[in-house]
This record gives sequence, structure tokens and C-alpha cells, in this order.
Amino acid sequence: MSTPSLSPPLLSPALLAQLERLELVSRKVFRGRMKGERRSRRKGQSVEFADFRNYVAGDDLRFIDWNLYARLEKLFLKLYLEEEDLHFYALIDASASMEFGEPSKLFYAKQLAAALGFVGLCRADRVRVETLGTSHAAPGPTLRGRKSLWRMIEYLEQVRPGENVPLATGVKNFCLRNSGKGILVLITDLMDKTGYEAAFRYLVAQQMDVYVVQVLSQEEIDPDVKGDLRLIDCEDADAAEITVSRPLLDRYKRTLAAFVDGARDFCTRRGMTYLLTNTKLPVEQLVANYLRQRGLIR
Amino acid sequence: MIAAASPFPLAQFSDLFGGLFLNALAWWQWLILALVPPAIVALYFLKLRRQPLEVPSTYLWHRTIEDLHVNSLWQRLRQSLLLFLQLLLVAVVMLACLRPGWRGAELTGDRFIFLVDTSASMSATDVAGAANRLELAKTRVGEMIDGMKSGDVAMIISFSNVARVEQPFTDNRRLLRTKLAHIRPTQRTSDVGEALRAAAGLANPGSSGERDRPGERAVAEALPATVVILSDGGFGPVPNFSLGNLHPVYVPIGSGAAGNVGIVAFTAERNPEKPDRLQAFGRLENFLAEEISVDVSLYLDDTLVDAANVTLPPLDAQTGQPGTGGADFDLADVETGVLKMEVKINDEFPLDNVAYAALSLPRRGDVLLVSPGNEALELAMQTPSARKLIDLVVETTDFLATKPYQDKAAAGGYDLIIYDQCAPQIMPAANTLFVGRLPPIPEWSAAPKQAAPAIFDTDRAHPIMQFVELGNVRIAEATPLKPPRGSTILIDSDLGPLLAIAPRDGYEDAVMGFELFGAQEKDGRTQTYVNTDWPIRLSFPLYVGNVLAYMSGARGELAAASVQPGKAFVHRSESPHESVRVVSPTGRSATLRREQQSVFTYTETDELGVYEVFEGPARDATRRFTVNLFDSQESDIAPRANIYPGNTIVAGQSGWESARIELWKYLLLGALGVLLLEWYIYNRRVYL
Repeated sequence: MSTPSLSPPLLSPALLAQLERLELVSRKVFRGRMKGERRSRRKGQSVEFADFRNYVAGDDLRFIDWNLYARLEKLFLKLYLEEEDLHFYALIDASASMEFGEPSKLFYAKQLAAALGFVGLCRADRVRVETLGTSHAAPGPTLRGRKSLWRMIEYLEQVRPGENVPLATGVKNFCLRNSGKGILVLITDLMDKTGYEAAFRYLVAQQMDVYVVQVLSQEEIDPDVKGDLRLIDCEDADAAEITVSRPLLDRYKRTLAAFVDGARDFCTRRGMTYLLTNTKLPVEQLVANYLRQRGLIR
Repeated sequence: MIAAASPFPLAQFSDLFGGLFLNALAWWQWLILALVPPAIVALYFLKLRRQPLEVPSTYLWHRTIEDLHVNSLWQRLRQSLLLFLQLLLVAVVMLACLRPGWRGAELTGDRFIFLVDTSASMSATDVAGAANRLELAKTRVGEMIDGMKSGDVAMIISFSNVARVEQPFTDNRRLLRTKLAHIRPTQRTSDVGEALRAAAGLANPGSSGERDRPGERAVAEALPATVVILSDGGFGPVPNFSLGNLHPVYVPIGSGAAGNVGIVAFTAERNPEKPDRLQAFGRLENFLAEEISVDVSLYLDDTLVDAANVTLPPLDAQTGQPGTGGADFDLADVETGVLKMEVKINDEFPLDNVAYAALSLPRRGDVLLVSPGNEALELAMQTPSARKLIDLVVETTDFLATKPYQDKAAAGGYDLIIYDQCAPQIMPAANTLFVGRLPPIPEWSAAPKQAAPAIFDTDRAHPIMQFVELGNVRIAEATPLKPPRGSTILIDSDLGPLLAIAPRDGYEDAVMGFELFGAQEKDGRTQTYVNTDWPIRLSFPLYVGNVLAYMSGARGELAAASVQPGKAFVHRSESPHESVRVVSPTGRSATLRREQQSVFTYTETDELGVYEVFEGPARDATRRFTVNLFDSQESDIAPRANIYPGNTIVAGQSGWESARIELWKYLLLGALGVLLLEWYIYNRRVYL
């Protein structure tokens, strides 16, 4: 299942094999549009018994437990766990700043989106991968089924950095396009001068199961810079003049830590899950360990 | 270094700061140096073109440097660390070129004579930062040697009561420092006169530099020299001395608050009224400004025998006279030993808190009585008290002709020889008493024999005549004496002196001008007759006892001699040995050769304490003597404000600053350190 590409493949066969055994988990009860392979918390029609309840007029007689009626002469309804599909959205920040890092943050984001999307595809969930810059006119494809993997990969391959859309605008547009509930994984570096709070509030209003994965490159976490520098922002060409010194670097790290703590705090309070990752950390490990711990997949 | 003789104002720079700086560069050199800091600053601004670097976002960076702008001046300083290190380097180098240093203003000139006081009072421990005054003085001299300019010459003389040239004029500072370190404290008294004369003498041409040492240059010329006297000033004025072209500088050593209590005299005497009792008397002086009560302990052979409490009045501030007091002790049944008196006080000059008195060893006098037969005399010399004093040998007049007598008499084998009615051929090396005869030397002569002299005077002050009452004594015949000059007439009569005593080469000769028993030829037989009734009087055994006690040397001097440290001790010995051995308190042994007839001179009296004299191979000491400080001037350890060399007054330099300490070496070392630090920061990118 290789994809023709100049860049290294987003998903290696080994990873795919690993991902096949996983499934996406939602902490919230969502109504799927179609029947899926997923046990929902809703009761419904499936083979898996969940509970009994008293019969009330109008209930489907097919679910009455006649054996119980024979014993107790009361009508009870057998309830079954509903199996349904899940909406999985992966929203990638494809701004210019995501191009940095080795591997680049954007590539890392694509890898992560592809991996999670593949998990969803394998479990017959509805998977939709989009970028923040996606417009109404050309929304990302809605994918379902394992066979759609190549379409997802293809879509991700054509995503290029440089869509300098403010985070809040991108998220707002996404929310307008996709009203359905489900799992949303927002993969971004959160480096938006206007702040992330507005964008996150849109997501909270959407009542989705939101995961925020902040991807930072090693250069951002531990800058290896020396001397007198004029730092230029790649997105808005803003300049910052610094003379690198040990206290300055320490102060930068403290600022970064405060920023990360602020974002995590913001998310946790609003029922969102926040995860910080470094591009140095392999996606396999991120998916297999960290996201599993956070409960996104199992 | 070039002393800048330029029109540039920097030439007067050193005057401005009182010698703190010495300009080492010419004006154009300063100009070049002054251009360096602006150049560094200019280069630094050029360097400030920052290198552009594209980053994902300046978001966090802006937030990071946001609060740095609040105290931006300090931040700028910190960011420009390398610049400041470079400027500091240049500043340190410039400071080094100014040769900063401190210099004692009076230490001018290029020829120095350091007079270092090593007397006992310099052992006082009242100085801060040094073990005692001498160490402080040596430190001061060391600083002055360090402050000497290249080409300066200096000489070191140490002095106590004698002066010692430690090092003649030299410009070799290492040699000066070595010789300085070798100066040791003494326990002697001080006298600066000899040292000043030595300095004046050595400052003259022709007498400095030791010609037998080719390594040293005789660099002295008839040039003025600075005499730096490092002392506490505890010496008297130096009269009959002219400083000439010596410029004196007096550096008082010691704190002005120094006080002291010391023993200035200590003697032991027999009580004249009770000869078996002993009196020890010590005199103390108090140099403190307040009255003080001290405990004085007396030890006999290191065993405490008595103690007393003495209250001493304070130092008289107007006259400068110390408060004095005495402690006397009465001891019984003490014949020999070492008495030590100790003042129990914890002052800063411990040397004068102890004094010693050696009681001379009992020595029985060897007395020879040469007589044709004199029962009265023999009886008087065999009383119990006389037998305690002497070993008596009685011989007839024939004995005088024998060889044993001649040898022993010439060698000083007897302490006292009594010639009764006889006289030797030559005078012996001993004290003598002639009864009715004249000594065979021309000094003594006598008038012809006359009858019935009437005694009208005796010299009761003389030990021989003490308690001797001659009012009831009648004499038949006597030959009035004509004693030599310098003699003492002990019995005077209307006819002339009847008993006289005169010194002779360290001995004394007593001559009685009358016989006790006369002998006359009558009918071919020698008849003995009684010439005087003195032998049956009470005064006669007293007189004989006095003669034995005084002239046999047995109880002559009880307390052995005490000399001051550094003074010579003269030992007279009647023993035939050619050498005696003297052992000092610390066990240092010295062998003395006989100088004259019976004189041995010992000069190494540097230590305080008891010295023992061994004659020949004797195992026991035959004599002891003590060395005590006993110097009020040394005990007054307060440093004097002025000293008086020659006819001048030299005031102490109270605010004496140490000699010039050059800082430029340390500054250059510091500059090197700054350079290394800058290199390290630049290369390792260690940022504060």
C-alpha cells in the first residue's frame, strides 16, 4: 500500500500494521449517521446485550424478553448496545511556520493525521481531513472504509505550507462547514499572535470531542542560536532583535513553558485534551503511547 | 621605565596625587593608548549589525524580551559584556602604566642605613600583626627594602648594647632580605650610640664594603644617607656624636599603650645581725598608669619558699618616674641554691618578671698558719664557728723554706696565710696576715719598735673590726706601721697605725704592727714573753673569726655576682687549672682559657638566668653567677616619642606608612586575567 511520493511516505507499512489493531474512542455519545463497527454508548440494535427495561406501549415487540415474561409474567425489553459509526476530523494547521523543523512540523502533522485517519478508516468511521485554510468551495474529502486510504494520503500530499490563516478564522470556518459531532484532532503549533483562545472557544461551542496536538520543532523548544540576531517571523516578517545570552535562553524557555501550561490549562478546563509533541518524537510512539494514554485510541 | 620629562601636564600628575602614581609613558604614548578605547567602542558598534535569522514565529521571543526592555540599560550592559571586558583590559593597562603605589613620604634618598633594635624590650608582644616588636621591625625594614628603587643601596645594623653590622652597603635586595631574616632578638640592654657611630663610620668612604669579599661592591661614597632607626627608643641620649650628613628617621615600634611591671633589682644578703639568716630583697617598678597589686613569689631551687603581695604606685605622669616598691624575704638555714623571684603578672614583656640570685657555694677556706708556736692564735682558730669556715694547717717557720710550700703558695693553693713572727721570701698568691712582721715588699715599712702604744681608734666599719672592742687591750711594744697608699688603717694608736690592710694584685695583706708573743734572746736561749693581753680578752677570738671570715673567702660573698646581659663576667680562680667551663642556662657550654694570673673572662652572657662555672674536670659547679636584665630603661617598654641622637631631637613618625608598594605587576596580572576571561567567554559562548 505504498503511495507514490518524493517525500518519505507518510505511513510506513509497519505503522499501518500497528494501526490496524487500534480504534478511535469517543468520550462523548454521538449519533452516527450510519451503522458502523463501533459500539456506541447508545442502546440500539446489535448483538451485544446491555440492559433490561420495562415495556412501555409502542416498543418494538421484537425486543421483548419472552423468557423473562414466562417466569415473571411481566414484559421487559432487552436493550442492546448500538453499533454506529464515528465522525473523525483531523484539522491541520498548514501555515508557513509549520514548515520548520526536521522533519517539518507540517509533515509531522500530516503523518499524525494520516495515522489517526487510517485508524478511523479501518473501523469504518467517517474520516475527514482538512486544513485551516480549506475554503467552503473546496472542502476536504469525506472518507470511509479502508479503501479510501489512498485518497486521504493523496489529499494530504497536496497540502502545502503557506496558508497563513489566523487560527481563529480557520477554526471558525471549519466549524461552519462541519456541524456534525465527533472527534476533532487539531494539529497546530499554536504560534498565532492573536492567540488561540478565540479558536478554542469555537471548538468548545461545537461540542466536539476535541484533541489539540501542539507540534513544536526542536528549534523552538531548545533554540540553538548564538550571537546578536535579528529574528524574522516567517509569516508576517515581524522582526525581533536579540543578543543571545544564557539568561535570555532561560527566560525563553520559561516563557515557552508558561505558554504551554496556559494552553493546557485552557483546554483542560473546557474539556478538551491537550498534548504537546516534539517533531523529534516518532509518530508511532506518539500514537502508540501518548494518544493511547490520553484515551483517543485504544 | 622612562620618567617623563615632557611638557605634557601628566608630568605633574604624580605630584597631584601625592606620589600615588608615577608616570611611565611619554605624552605621545599616552595619546596612542587613549585612542584604543574609542577604537574598541567603534569596532563594537560595527559588530552590532545583527545577523538575520528566520524563525517560525517571533511570538514567544517578543514575549521573552518584553520585560527585558524595562531595565534596558542594565540589559545593554550585560549584552555588551565583551566590550566592557575589553575596555576594562585597556583601563587596567593604563592604570599599570601610571605605576600606582603607596610610598612613605620620608623614605627618600638612595642610601639607607637600617638600625634594628634587638634589645630585650623588643621582645615585647604588644604589637598587632607580628609575634613581637622585632618581627614587626623586620617587616617594616622588609617593606622599605621592597620600596627601594633600582640602584639604591642599603645597610643593616642590628644593635642592643653593642652594634653589629649585619650587612654593609649593598644594592642586592635579596642579600639584604636574607640578612634581615637572620636578625635574632637578644636579651640585652640597648645603646644606640655604638650603632650610630658604626653607621656614621661605615657611611664614610673607605670603610664600607668588605674588601675580602670580592662579590660585594664597595659602593659607599661620601654621600648623605638616611638612617632609619627601628626601635622603641628605650635608650638614653647619645652625647658627643654628630649626625653629620646622616638624615635620621625614627620609626617607633610598639603600641603607645604598653605598660609593664618589672624587677629592676634582686639581691640576697646575710642578715648582718643574724649571720645564719638570709635576706632577699627585690625592687619592682611599675610603668602602668594605675596602681597595681602584684604577687611576688620566691623560689629556692624551683621550690616555692615564700610569697608576698606588693602594691606598686602608678607611673608618675609628670616626671615619668615609675612607681617603685620592694619585696623582702627573710630566710633561715639557707646555705646554697638558686633564688628565683617571680612577679605573677601577665604583661607584655615577660623577660623582666623573673630575677635570679645564686647563693655562692660554701667553700671552706684553706688557711695556713706559720708560727713558731702561738697557742692563743691556734686556739682562736679552732673555735667551732671558725672550724665551720676553714681548714687550718699549722706549720712551723721551717716550712717556709720547703718546696711544697713554695709551690702551693705560688699557685694560689691557700686562701689565707698567717705569718706569725715570720715572713716569707716572696709574697704568696693568697691573702696574708702578718703578725709582728712586715711583708717582704717595699711598700710596707714601719717605724722602730716603741713601747706602750695607746689604742685610740679602730675602724669599726671594716668587717675585720666589727664588734671588736679594744678599750681594755694593752700592748707592750709595737712598731708603728707605714702602710702603702690605698690601705685601710684598722687600729690606730698614739704612735701610729698598729693594724692596716692593703690590696695587692687581687689579694689583701693585713699587717699587725705588734706581736702577740715576743721572743728574745737571753742567755743563749730563746725566751718567749707576752707582748699584749689581747689574747685573754673577749675581743680576740672575735677578731680572729672576722679575719678568717673576711680573708679566707669562705663567707665573703654570699650572693654570687649578677651581671647584665651582654656584659662580661670576670671569674677569679685560685685553682691551678688552665681552663674553666661555663654552662649557660640553656646548657650551652663554653671553655675559657686563663687570661692573666687568675682571671677568666666570660662574655657570652646573652641569656637571662643562672650560669655555672666548672673548674677543670670538676663535676660540681664551683661557682654560679646570674645574668639579670635589671634595667629600668628596658623595663619601660612604652615606645618613646622622640629620641636624641647627638644633639638633635628626632620625633617618631607616628603615621608611618609602609614603603612604596608597586601595584603595576598585579595590575598586569589582572589584565592578563581579564584577557583570559574574555577569550573564554568569546570562545565558549558563556553568557551571563
